[in-house]
Amino acid sequence: MRIKLSDLPFGATAVVREIQTSAHDLNCLGLRIGKELKMVTKQPIKGPVVVILGELEIAMGLETAEQIVVETGVDR
Amino acid sequence: MTEGRADLPEGGTTVLMLGNPNVGKSALFNRMTGANAVVSNYPGTTVDFTRGTFIEGGHTYTIVDVPGTYSLEPRDAAEEVAVRMLRDCPDATVMIVLDATKIDRGLYITLEVMERGMPCIVAVNMMDAAHEKKITVDIAALQRLLGVPVVSTTATSGEGVRTLAEQIRKAQVANLGGIAKRLRGEEPRTESLRACGGCGGC
Amino acid sequence: MVISSDARWEMVDAITRQTVTYGTYKQTLGDVLGDLTVKPLTGIPVAVAALYAFWSIFTSFAGTLVTDGFMVKLFDGYWLPWLQSVWPDPTSWHYFIFVGNPAADTCFEAFGMLTSGLFVSIGVVLPAVFVFYLMMTILEDSGYLPRLAVLMDSVLHRIGLHGYAIVPAILGLGCNVPAVTATRILETKKQRFIMMTLLALFIPCGAQLGIMMSVLPDLVGVVMLCLVVGFVIFGFVLNKVIPGENPEILVDVPPYHWPVKEYVAKKLWNRTKGFLKEAVPFVLFGVLVVNLLYLGGVIQGLADLLEPVFVTWFGVPKETVGPLIAAFLRKDLAIAQLSTIPMTTYQTVASVVLVTIYFPCVATFVVMLREGWKQLIAAIAVLFVVVFIYGGIIHAVGILLGVA
Repeated sequence: MRIKLSDLPFGATAVVREIQTSAHDLNCLGLRIGKELKMVTKQPIKGPVVVILGELEIAMGLETAEQIVVETGVDR
Repeated sequence: MTEGRADLPEGGTTVLMLGNPNVGKSALFNRMTGANAVVSNYPGTTVDFTRGTFIEGGHTYTIVDVPGTYSLEPRDAAEEVAVRMLRDCPDATVMIVLDATKIDRGLYITLEVMERGMPCIVAVNMMDAAHEKKITVDIAALQRLLGVPVVSTTATSGEGVRTLAEQIRKAQVANLGGIAKRLRGEEPRTESLRACGGCGGC
Repeated sequence: MVISSDARWEMVDAITRQTVTYGTYKQTLGDVLGDLTVKPLTGIPVAVAALYAFWSIFTSFAGTLVTDGFMVKLFDGYWLPWLQSVWPDPTSWHYFIFVGNPAADTCFEAFGMLTSGLFVSIGVVLPAVFVFYLMMTILEDSGYLPRLAVLMDSVLHRIGLHGYAIVPAILGLGCNVPAVTATRILETKKQRFIMMTLLALFIPCGAQLGIMMSVLPDLVGVVMLCLVVGFVIFGFVLNKVIPGENPEILVDVPPYHWPVKEYVAKKLWNRTKGFLKEAVPFVLFGVLVVNLLYLGGVIQGLADLLEPVFVTWFGVPKETVGPLIAAFLRKDLAIAQLSTIPMTTYQTVASVVLVTIYFPCVATFVVMLREGWKQLIAAIAVLFVVVFIYGGIIHAVGILLGVA
């Protein structure tokens, strides 16, 4: 199932499928298409989203997370 | 610390330390030069460059600790300093510092620097952290693939720093076409470091 | 040979596949802590507890233990009486400049270079900045700052910044000078300008915090509240007024590390050395300048000239003009000087807040200039407007509360 990263529940894992915003900065921090990530936390009052990708942990704004499409339930 | 253009000192070789933020460039820099660049555990500690010197094998090196950057397309003013340094010192040798636990992220800027045709040497830092996380980096294979000297280091303990200093003079201009070929297994890997003569290490 | 960004990433992946192998990953204590300190439900209480611990160690060690327990006794009990007894001719100009008021009982009141100057810098501020830097170094080296940035992002993103602006803000609590340079980690000119202006206005440095703790321990809380409120209000306004982008936070969160003892010691030593080398001479020089201006009647003249603004608009006595001049050189000195002027509680709070916000100290001014003179001029223009408005607001609130 494909959903927005911002809708991914806590602790769930998913694979990045599409980046609808400028991808360069996200790529540089390690968030790239095809990578598996895990939702760590979404901060209240439209705060940032923190995800873990393998050894990496990155924080991004909510609007950015809304423009990233991930696929859940991918068997790896 | 001086702002703006980096004035090249008379003689000697300028070495720019480049790499992602928070990979331990300043710690490595302090180890090599005995200087006091500020070291912390958050990306963006170094926002300006610091210069230091060391002598190795009778040759003087001016080494510059540059703010960390993820790519050569700067995102903020600190990264701009790094990109400007690279532009202002076209004759410099570039020491690329990678975090052993996050090799892939650092390789992007490694390739970008290599495209510019500057002589490079790679330091794979934070080997202790990689060991803890059960990550192994095949240093020899990385050296063969990239065609430039690759040295593993742990700046916090000083391990590998000596070797890194000795290897700077062997920095090479990498050939991206060659790397692509070697990745496909087309070129005999042993030929990759032709210019590395008289060295027992590699 | 230049290749496209996608081709580069492909190559990166190919190289990684052939050189890096990942073993079975075991979660460590650091990872668990990492999660706990970044999730709002647990992270916010931890942040509050950390800041509280920070504050109480700061006040108890620097304020009570070293300054009150040792330095005050040393300076007021031995140093001041000895100087007063051996320095010739209490009526001379040199006595006034070096020793100060011959009738003074404490080093604060004397206001000479060798009395107040040394006492403020070594007796009060040095222990405070030392403890402050020690705790700040541990915060920096452990990897907590990026997590604090995530927690603070919701608030800071609404005032034209994002969470990572917490880094220059916290550095600024140590000293505004490195904090100004640290604004470079923000992405746009708008963000950098807002942060630099707010830094110069509302973030007191460690030296200033130290002296406030010593001379007005009961009022530090109220002063800090005024500053935090001002930070948020004017951040909000600046965000609306200044054109430009305010991109979202996008930052790497490094794993926790035990701070390396050697690095902590080295950093602490360098920062303390920096304080001794740069701040101490400035405090002494500040006392000298202020005393010379007093002798020359300049301060009296300025005080008379500015009396309407100070008394009517800000509601503080005109004697506070002198400390405001000292504040340009050293804010800690200015507050020490303020503490000797008899004032009501409201007047003390208002004048301390004014000293904090009215102008960056000369060292901060110089680094701001280095980041660009246009921004500096704009920042100063904003500064004057803010000082005038906020000083008036505080006065109005004071009147409404019936204390001014």
